[in-house]
Amino acid sequence: MIAAAALVIGVLLGLLVEPVVPLWLQPYLPIAVVAALDAVFGGIRARLDGIFDSQVFVVSFVSNVLVAALIVFLGDKLGVGGQLSTGVVVVLGIRIFGNAAAIRRHLLRA
Amino acid sequence: MSTSLLDELMTDHLDPGYRAAAGRRAAAPSPPAADRRRTQLLLATGLLLLGFLLAVAYRGTLRQAPDSERARQALVRDVETGSALSDSLQRRAETLTGELGRERDAALAAIRTGDQVGTEVRRLEAAAAQSAVRGPGIEVVAGDAGAREQTDPATGERVTVPAEDSGRLRDRDLQSIVNALWAAGAEAVAVDGERLAPTTTIRAAGEAILVDLRPVQNPYTIAAVGDPETLLPRFADSEAARRYQSYTGLYGIQFTVRKVGELQLRAATGSQLRYAEAVPSASPAPSAAPGASGSSESPRSPTGSPTGSPASPSGAGSTPGRSPGGGP
Repeated sequence: MIAAAALVIGVLLGLLVEPVVPLWLQPYLPIAVVAALDAVFGGIRARLDGIFDSQVFVVSFVSNVLVAALIVFLGDKLGVGGQLSTGVVVVLGIRIFGNAAAIRRHLLRA
Repeated sequence: MSTSLLDELMTDHLDPGYRAAAGRRAAAPSPPAADRRRTQLLLATGLLLLGFLLAVAYRGTLRQAPDSERARQALVRDVETGSALSDSLQRRAETLTGELGRERDAALAAIRTGDQVGTEVRRLEAAAAQSAVRGPGIEVVAGDAGAREQTDPATGERVTVPAEDSGRLRDRDLQSIVNALWAAGAEAVAVDGERLAPTTTIRAAGEAILVDLRPVQNPYTIAAVGDPETLLPRFADSEAARRYQSYTGLYGIQFTVRKVGELQLRAATGSQLRYAEAVPSASPAPSAAPGASGSSESPRSPTGSPTGSPASPSGAGSTPGRSPGGGP
């Protein structure tokens, strides 16, 4: 309950405060969102598996976002930013799909 | 756990931390209450961050997407205001030209040979497209080949075939029609309302055709003032008219010619003298007389640039003292 309220408050905060994302940070925003989604799906699946842990979830969320952004940042510096972003999106996409499939098996038993 | 990286990627989707944490919990089954409150707070913070991130990304995407659209709209607005300004300036130039003509007529009426000079000036102005003219004439409408229907050979159905590129009129098509009109005796010609002066160009910029640097739209209406009884047959008999008449069947272009009782053509714009300068009117009588009566070509000669361009080293005999250095 507290968690859901925190999520809603976070969304409202982001919508109402309208933070100005600096220009140099903007390329990393989509990657950060994909990484966050990966952490979310992982958390939901762990919850359904009965092994959810808040600490692991928060740490995996923060570190996922940071590492994904870091990889893309390094790629930009090395001149392979586009390819590395694609790589990050592919890997995270596979994980999201796998976790979503596990969640589906839990919920629909199919 | 598989050692292969790809295997791991394809089969092991869950963060291994969850399983490790579950193992730790199993070892110490009853966490204290303070510890539980701490994890709740941690989870709330994490979800707050998550919601914030999603909202920020959403706003960022929302702001970025219309940026290109907004830029396009701004460009369209710029073009519209630009052409509106150009139109109003053109109208102003026309009124000012009219005023100038009236003032000049008034000034000419005051001197003895004024009538004769005024008539000559008006005749020359009309010939140089510097004044609006009206009169009978003919109108040529030429247009691109449109989409046409034809029977599909395979199915026998009527299908609409988009126009081919070969059925589109180019700048040189308009040029040859206009030239044929001049040759047939037209005294004033306008393409889509753009009056053609002696120096007006018809040329292409990309896919658009520009007449006097203003774009004209398909279908093109070419109005020519002249005696319709001679202009029409002479133009219809010209090589260009016959060619485009045959193109109507070959490529499906549009090409019609008709007589018009009364045409109104406005003055051409953009005639500036680049090199010629008006002679100060101290004693214009002796020099103006032969020019006015004989309409000699010398003042209009384009080569007569008195300033002389130093940027042309191969000066075509203009620098006789210099010897060409390249001759072996």
